[in-house]
Parts: sequence; C-alpha cells; structure tokens
Amino acid sequence: MEILINTQDSETTAKLIGRLDTPASLEAAATLEPLQEKADGTIILDCKELTYISSSGLRIFLTLRKAAAAKGGKVIVRSICPDIRNVFMMTGFLNLFQIED
Amino acid sequence: MAKNLIKRQGLILVLVAAVLLEVTSLVQFLFVRKGLLQEAEGRAKSEMTVTRLKIENTSLTVEKDTKGMAWAYSDRDKDVAGFMDLVRVMMDNNPIIVNGFIAFREGFFPSEGKWYEPVLSRIDGQYNLHNVGAADHDYFNTDWYKVAAETGEGYWSEPYFDKDGVKSMVVTYSVPVHSSNGEFIGVFGVDVELSWLQKMIIDVQPYKNAYSTLVSREGQMLACPAETLAVSDVLRYVTPIESTGWQMSVVIPEDEIFANARKVSMFVLLLQIAGLILLILIIQRLARQQKKMEAISISREKIEEELKIARGIQMSMLPKIFPPYPDRKDIDIYASIVPAKEVGGDLYDFYLRDNKLFFCIGDVSGKGVPASLVMAVTRSLFRTVSAHENSPARIVTAMNESMSDMNESSMFVTFFCGVLDMDSGHLRYCNAGHNAPVLLNSSKNLLPVIPNIPLGIMSGMVFTEQEADLRYDDAIFLYTDGLTEAENAVHELFGEKRMLDALTGLKGSRKHMEEMQKAVATFVGDAPQSDDLTMLIIHYLNERQSLETDRHLLIHNDIQQIPQLAEFIETIAAEKKLDHSLSLSLNLALEEAVTNVIMYAYPEGTDGLVDIEAVIREKSLSFVITDSGCHFDPTAKPDADITLGAEDRPVGGLGIYLVKNIMDTVSYERKDGKNILSMTKNL
Repeated sequence: MEILINTQDSETTAKLIGRLDTPASLEAAATLEPLQEKADGTIILDCKELTYISSSGLRIFLTLRKAAAAKGGKVIVRSICPDIRNVFMMTGFLNLFQIED
Repeated sequence: MAKNLIKRQGLILVLVAAVLLEVTSLVQFLFVRKGLLQEAEGRAKSEMTVTRLKIENTSLTVEKDTKGMAWAYSDRDKDVAGFMDLVRVMMDNNPIIVNGFIAFREGFFPSEGKWYEPVLSRIDGQYNLHNVGAADHDYFNTDWYKVAAETGEGYWSEPYFDKDGVKSMVVTYSVPVHSSNGEFIGVFGVDVELSWLQKMIIDVQPYKNAYSTLVSREGQMLACPAETLAVSDVLRYVTPIESTGWQMSVVIPEDEIFANARKVSMFVLLLQIAGLILLILIIQRLARQQKKMEAISISREKIEEELKIARGIQMSMLPKIFPPYPDRKDIDIYASIVPAKEVGGDLYDFYLRDNKLFFCIGDVSGKGVPASLVMAVTRSLFRTVSAHENSPARIVTAMNESMSDMNESSMFVTFFCGVLDMDSGHLRYCNAGHNAPVLLNSSKNLLPVIPNIPLGIMSGMVFTEQEADLRYDDAIFLYTDGLTEAENAVHELFGEKRMLDALTGLKGSRKHMEEMQKAVATFVGDAPQSDDLTMLIIHYLNERQSLETDRHLLIHNDIQQIPQLAEFIETIAAEKKLDHSLSLSLNLALEEAVTNVIMYAYPEGTDGLVDIEAVIREKSLSFVITDSGCHFDPTAKPDADITLGAEDRPVGGLGIYLVKNIMDTVSYERKDGKNILSMTKNL
C-alpha cells in the first residue's frame, strides 16, 4: 500500500495505490490522519490504482467524510474501479461521497 | 602381563634346551673320549710292539752271538789271542757292540795274576786289545760276572757309563764260559752301546707331543727323548721286553688325545650358545611383538570407545523419540538406523513447519568416520536450507550447490527429500539418486521417482520435483540400500520383492518397522551386516483431511497475517476459475470474518490460532472459520443501517454486514469451546 499526498491551496489529493486490507489500513489511517486538518477544504481520494478495500479502509474514508462534514469541506472519491464501486454500493457509501470518474 | 608370561615360558624353554643340549654333548663327549682312549692305546701298543720286537730282535742277536763266542772259547783252552780274533769278527758283524771281553776266573791264568780280563774295544772303528783286569777293577764283584758265574745264565747288566772305552752309556751282556769238560773258566761279555736304543725310542711317537722311554730292570733310564714337554695329565702305556727285562713306556699327553674332540666339543658348545642366544632373541622379539599387539589392541579399544561416542553424537542429531508428535493424531512416524560400523553414513530427518512435514533420507557413499562426517554436514544443510524453503527441488538444489562446492573428497549422497502438507496430504518430493520409497495405500507400489543424480557430484544440476497426494491412512516407507542389499550367508540380496512382501496391510509405523526388521534379520541370519540400514515410515492419519479440491489455512491471531488470506483465495480462485470480482468479494468476506475473530475472539495479547477451511464444491464455496477464543457470535449483531448520513453513521459494524451481503448463508455455532463460523457462496 502506497499513499501519495499532494496539497494545492485548499485541495488535497491522496493517491491510494494497492490493496487497502486490514493491516494496510492501520498504516493508512496514520498516514491520512493529518488530512482531517484540511477537511475544511477539498479532499480528493484518488482510487485509480486502489485494487481492494476492506471495512477498515472504508472506515478511514468515513472518518475523513465525518471530519469534512464537521468542518464544511468535502471529500471526493475519484476513479474507483467497478469492484470497489460495488463495495461502496453494498455499504451505502455511494450516497455518502461525491464520486468522480 | 602376557609379556611376562612369554618371557617366563621362554626362559624355561631356553633352560630346558640348554640342559638337553649339554647332556647330549656330555654323553657324546664321553663316548668320543672312550673311543679316543681306545685308539690311543691301540696306536701306542702297536708302535711299542714294533719297537719291542726290533729291540728284542737286536738283543737276541747280541745274546746269540755272545753265547756263540762263549761256546767258541770252550775248545780254545788258553788261546786268548785267537779268541780275540773271533771276537773281532763278531764285533765287525755287530756294530752296536763296542767292547768284547772275557774275564777269567782267579787262577785260570796264573801268570797273569789274580785278575785277567782282556778287552777288545772299538773306538771310532779302531780296535784295541788290552787287559783291564787289575786290583782297581775287581770284576769278581760285578753283577755281570757274579750273576753269570753263579746262575750259569746270560745276564743283562744295568746301564752304566763306559769311562774307559767308548765314553758313553752302555749295557753289558755276559754269559759264563766253560771248558769243553764243563769247567767254569770265566765270563764272556759284550758292551752294547745304547745310542741305537735311543734312535729307536725317539721314533716311537704316536702323537706329536707323545714320547716313549725305555728303562732297565731296576729303573735306570736306557733311552728317552732329549727333552719332553712337562705335562701333568698324561696317559702311560707300558710293555715289557722280556729278553732283557727292560720296560718300554709310551707317554701321551691327554690334551693330545682329546685335542680334536675338545675342538669339536668347543665348536659344538659355541654352536649351542649361538643357538640359545638366537632362541633368546626370538623370544624377546616375540615378547616385543606381544607388547606391540597389546599396545595396538589398547589403541583399538580407545578408537572403538571414541567411535561409540561419535555414534552417540551422530544419533543425537537424528530424531530418535517415537512417536515424535504424541499430541498429533494426524501423523505417525517411526524410524530406525543401524550402522554397519560404529558410525554410519546414513541419515534421516523430519520436522514440522507451518503444518508441513519436512522429511528426508540419505545414504553417504562409503562407510565409517568419513561417511559419518558427510552425513552430519548433509543433515545440517537439510535443516538450514529447508528452514525457509518449501520446495523439495529447491532444497535439494541448494544442498547440492553447497556440497559440490566443498566436496573435495568426492563423496556423494543419495538423498530423498519430501514436504508433506499435513492439511491436504499433498506431497511434493525430489529424489537425488536415492532408492524409490514405497507408497503404502490400498496397494503398495514404489513411488514413481525421477532418479536425478546424487548430491555433491556436480554443481549446477537441475533436480526435478514431483508430486503425489496422500489420503487418510496412507503411508510412505523410505529406506536406504542397506535394506534391499542386505546379504545373507550365501550372498543373496534381500531385494525389493522381499521388502514389499514384508509390508503387508496397514498396521501403523512402529509395527511395520518391527516386521521389516524381523524379516531382514531372519533373511540375513548370522551373516555380518555389510551396509548401514536405515528406514523411515511416515503414516498420514489426518481424518479431517480436506478433500481433493479443499484447501486449508491456519494463521495466528495476528492482523499482519491477513494478507495470507488473499493468497489463499487466489489459489482457490485459480483452481475454480472464479472471476476477479467474485474472488475479490470472497477475499473481502473472508478478511472481514477473520478480522472479527482476531479482533474480538481472543483477548488482547493472547496468542491463538484461526483455522480456515475452504470447502470447494461444484456449485458452492464454503469457508469454515474456527477459533478457540472466547464466545463471539458476529451474526448476533444487528445489521448496519446504510441509509444513515455521514454524520450519523458509526465507523464500525461494516465488516459482518459485508460478509452477510457477499455470502449467501452465514451461520455461527459454539462447539467444544470453539467458535465456528460457516459461510457459503453459491456459484
């Protein structure tokens, strides 16, 4: 699992690469925690190269989403593959996030 | 101890030999001495006899001539001059007679006075007639006159020095003279020079330093050598000369007689001493050899002692406690190793890692200590290499590289390595020139093996791996050629057929081993064991064995082991040819279920196992997740409400919701202190 974070003005992009399974999520949670500070802006989670996500991964997404909701920012989930889209659908996450292609 | 014995016995032997030799020498010497004495006596007597006869002959001639002259005078009355002419003639014929004389009785020639004794002397060939009768030569009192006159017989006088005539030692022979009418008229005598006796006596010399003597009746020396050796031990032989009453002696120094015998016996003695010394040397040598042998046997004992220790060390390298895993019902192993020499070159080994049984058997070329060293190296390599390598072919290849690099003694190892997956019974194996093991199931067959080449011959070799599947109650019997090539007294080999015959039925590893040992022992009989004999039997007894297409995974309650689930699912997906999305979903469901167990079933900080079994059917795929943690039923939780907004959504509770969504059925049971979560996906 690799996470590349890029901040431009109020827009922060986190590029998630690989599998976000339970152990990977433990690391990713720590890596992405600073993004909560920037939840007043726009957080873009680039999932173009994310191949797998478990509930722990979803929990990170949700945590960010909650922070954005509290601070008035927004979280955009970008370029999710059909398999992950399917997981988002099952869990109702499609309704919680702004999904971009 | 033995050295003393040999020395003592040797000493006795030498003493007995010495005594025997000395006794025989003594007896021989006595016989020889007797013979030599007889010989000496014979020689002395024969020489004396010859001389005696010569002397007697000469003396008889003198006696006869003298008597003849006396007789001749009886007719002559008083013709002394004529008689003396006759005497001269006689003396001419008898060179040893130096004087001829006639001593008349008193008054026979009154004109001549009381004493009248005309003498014809010959000195240097010149004859001289003169009268010696006188008052100072009163012959009437001499022996030669008196005895001859009184006895009427001839008389040989004692020797005396003739100072008047020849001035040398002479003896006188005298006979009475009677007239024709028998009247005694005087005595006729001759003086005989003794030098001829001397010549004769000197010639009598039967031995170099022997000599002879001639003595008169009264013991006066008549003839003897000018000088004789002063020797105390002499032998004396005496013979009388009857006519004159003399005695002849031959004196022989004893040394002379026994000189040769002494020389011979000295030589024999030297030989005997030499022989005895030789004997002593031989005995000493034997004693030394004995000592050496003792030293050798002591050092041999020491070596054997060390070999025993080496054997102990060697044996301690191999698993020797059976059953090795008493708390496991799914595996039963038994092994036996009997080295032909104290230390052997055979090896076997096995151990469990990741629920896989790693095992091997091998046979190092050669026997004894060198083979045992290579054996130890091989066993260590097996452990080292297999510690982080699951593929038998790669284990064997790595071992071969190491052993080929360092193998300068050209020893090689035939080796068979197997890795048995305890869950599935799947066996991967690789053979390196070793005998094919026997696979014991409903039938018994040699496991098909690609021979490859033994370890340690050449680096860079490729070893091919093979596979087989064991079912419940199947067994593998591994052995070294010490079994198939065990020889009986007539050099027949035990062979594969006898081996397979001994493996009847399925009786458990120990029972099989004992029957095989018995079969070999019966076959071999009293013949010595020619090669190391090693056997290993592995009995697979996993009742819960996943069926052919089933898979099994055992992990610890550690989040970090979660990625193994992905591999697990990948394997199954590849086998079932599931599409990517489905396999990802299944992965997700499994991960969520297992994560729940890891997170909630075991109290934090405790170590526990999570057993995941994938039951793969034609139309379905089920996972059975078992753990021994606290009671934890994930299905009891209410479903997450996915309609809530972000602000209201709890961050947890999604896991089991996903599981239920992905799988078609999910059920939980608590059984035997275990949480069992079963979930099935219809395909």
